[in-house]
Amino acid sequence: MSRLAQRSGPPAARREGEEDDVCPVCKSSRYLNPNMRFLVNPECYHRIKNKFRKQTFEDIQVEREVDIRRRVAEVFNRREDDFNSLLDYNNYLNDVEDITYNLINKIDLDESERKLASYASRNQQTISLNVQKSLQESQNREARQVLEKEQARIRREAARREEQEEKRDREEGRRDVINMLASSDGDASRIAREGQQAVLKRSKTRQAAIQKQQQALSSDSSNGAPNGGFFIQGLKTKVEPVDEGPYDPFQGFSDKRKYFVQQNRYAWDRLDRLQKDTNWTAGGYDFREFCSRTLCEAFSGLGVFIGEEVTRTDPAFVGSVATVAAAEAGAGSKDIMMEDPF
Amino acid sequence: MAMSPTETVAPSSNTKNTVVRTKPPKAPQTSNSSATNHDKPRTAPAPQLFESLNDEEKRKYVKDKQVGKGTYADVFVGHFASSPSTKIAIKKIRFNADFKDGISMDTIREIRALQELRHPNIIALYSVFSSKNQNLNLVLEYCPRGDLMELIRDTDNVHYGTADIKAWMGMLCRAVWFCHENFILHRDIKPNNLLIAADGELKLADFGLARSFAEPETRMTYNMTTRFYRPPELFYQARHYSGVVDVWSVGCVMAELVLRFPFIQGDTDIETANKISETIGTPTEDNWPGVTQLKAYLAPTNVVPVKRKPFYMDLFSSLGSSGVDLMMSMFALDPRKRATSKQVLQHEWWQQEPRPSRKEDLPKRGGGVEVMGDDLKRRGGELPAEGRADKVARKIDFGAMKK
Repeated sequence: MSRLAQRSGPPAARREGEEDDVCPVCKSSRYLNPNMRFLVNPECYHRIKNKFRKQTFEDIQVEREVDIRRRVAEVFNRREDDFNSLLDYNNYLNDVEDITYNLINKIDLDESERKLASYASRNQQTISLNVQKSLQESQNREARQVLEKEQARIRREAARREEQEEKRDREEGRRDVINMLASSDGDASRIAREGQQAVLKRSKTRQAAIQKQQQALSSDSSNGAPNGGFFIQGLKTKVEPVDEGPYDPFQGFSDKRKYFVQQNRYAWDRLDRLQKDTNWTAGGYDFREFCSRTLCEAFSGLGVFIGEEVTRTDPAFVGSVATVAAAEAGAGSKDIMMEDPF
Repeated sequence: MAMSPTETVAPSSNTKNTVVRTKPPKAPQTSNSSATNHDKPRTAPAPQLFESLNDEEKRKYVKDKQVGKGTYADVFVGHFASSPSTKIAIKKIRFNADFKDGISMDTIREIRALQELRHPNIIALYSVFSSKNQNLNLVLEYCPRGDLMELIRDTDNVHYGTADIKAWMGMLCRAVWFCHENFILHRDIKPNNLLIAADGELKLADFGLARSFAEPETRMTYNMTTRFYRPPELFYQARHYSGVVDVWSVGCVMAELVLRFPFIQGDTDIETANKISETIGTPTEDNWPGVTQLKAYLAPTNVVPVKRKPFYMDLFSSLGSSGVDLMMSMFALDPRKRATSKQVLQHEWWQQEPRPSRKEDLPKRGGGVEVMGDDLKRRGGELPAEGRADKVARKIDFGAMKK
């Protein structure tokens, strides 16, 4: 069934050339039935089965792209504050866009779908957490808007009321003055002045009351919401204090050597002689430090695989000091004696 | 085809930045192609390779604003070209005609040491490149919160407790231990070489006096370390010493954190050496076998016995008994008896109450980028001039002592 004619009210706005729309299945056109509505099947976009949704965009490709983007964004919903740096966030956005692009343009469709699904299953928790976060944010935003509207309304009303009261006061004052002038035979100018003062006094008390009300209103806005809900702006998400365990003075760093174990003493004539010389002992020269360094320099090459190092890039260390040093060496600048000038 | 040799060696054919690279020579006419090809000097490629690598490196960083200016170096704040929010400090070292190739020893020492070291408590060196006039640029980690000296000296506005001292000491000791573990002596540890990063982390900086552990036969220079923080063996001109020279300085910083002024002060080197003798105890053959053999050892006129724990407890009671034990182990006169940086970290003080403050809770003070600029532009061994402290040279004048 492709003809879903909806007769409940006329369509809101007509697109240009709408009359030419023809249903590909039953060939009925809007020309004959202006109330007929064309719906889109979000599964395939070109064949009409039994699943329909209202079309938003004229271009069916755009319609499809928006749907895909929505689907991907529901899964890849990380936020900037999840990342250590803007660069990381941008890289993430780039990866997501790659997947989206592939899905839209049907490139490596299976692979992209698999990526999407595996990410979704692996990150269920963060995904739902971020969904909640955005939900909370939009609720807060709505609540704030409602509150602001309400306050604006109250202010408007108060202003109108004040205007009316002032008008009434002024009229009453004038009436009083006239009455007094009529009933008594005192000084006319004095009576007029007194009357004015009375009006002034009344308007002052009123203004004070309004101010008080406004203060109450603004303090209300900082932590209260109208419809019974209570929300506070600018709250930091409370971090549960974690048990950090005993303090580690080394903070995870270790002095374990991978390729050798150092002995307490090495039979080595060169060192034995010096170890007895006060020039070394009294200055505190540490022969263990020397042995440790010698062993380290002898064996550390075992852990170096140049092939790996060349391909691996360390994002935390963007510069390449070694490259420059190597370039310098390559340029033949051997003028500085690098070995031991200190 | 008449391909010039430069073409084949030209690097970074995969990079997009080819702006500054010198143009490859034009392809010669076919008629005399073989002749021109042979005339081409074969040494040409090397400087090109270097220049293009350098340019490529240089373009990764952007200088924003100058924050320090000195005779030795200028300091700028900048950012990564690829990530404008990631800030960096660029230390531009001026070409110095006094030295061969225009590069001072301090610069070479600093680059050599920092190239080796990557640790959260050691200032990171991201890169080195040269700019015009052969000035050398060191791209360093950004430390916008001033230095530890600012915090120590600002007694009116900055208040801190034992937990904070413990946290700073922990970071400092880790940095020193890591240097030693990588066979590097810092030799200039003092509060104004301890910069504070945006997240509160302490960063050991200024490796201008650093060197790697020496071979046993190599004679090291003794005129190192700013005077107030210099260990006794260096005053006595020892030529063969070890990592514990830094541990003495760490002890001085620890004491200064509590007292809020330098623990051992003197206007001259001799005065400072005498101050050690008075404050800690007089070095003798009994407490330091062999000390009298050291070149500049001076027989004391009056011998002050080595101070015992009650003396330290009076001054540093806030550190607690075990904190005082740790400090005393760092102030051992005989370097062989002094705690190593590893032993310092293994001390029980770290496990005792109070637990070190978290870095985000540590007291801070504005001072900021200007202080960092001021600290980085200085050469090793100098104390900051004008108002921040007396000017203290790092050379020892023993001429007066000998008379």
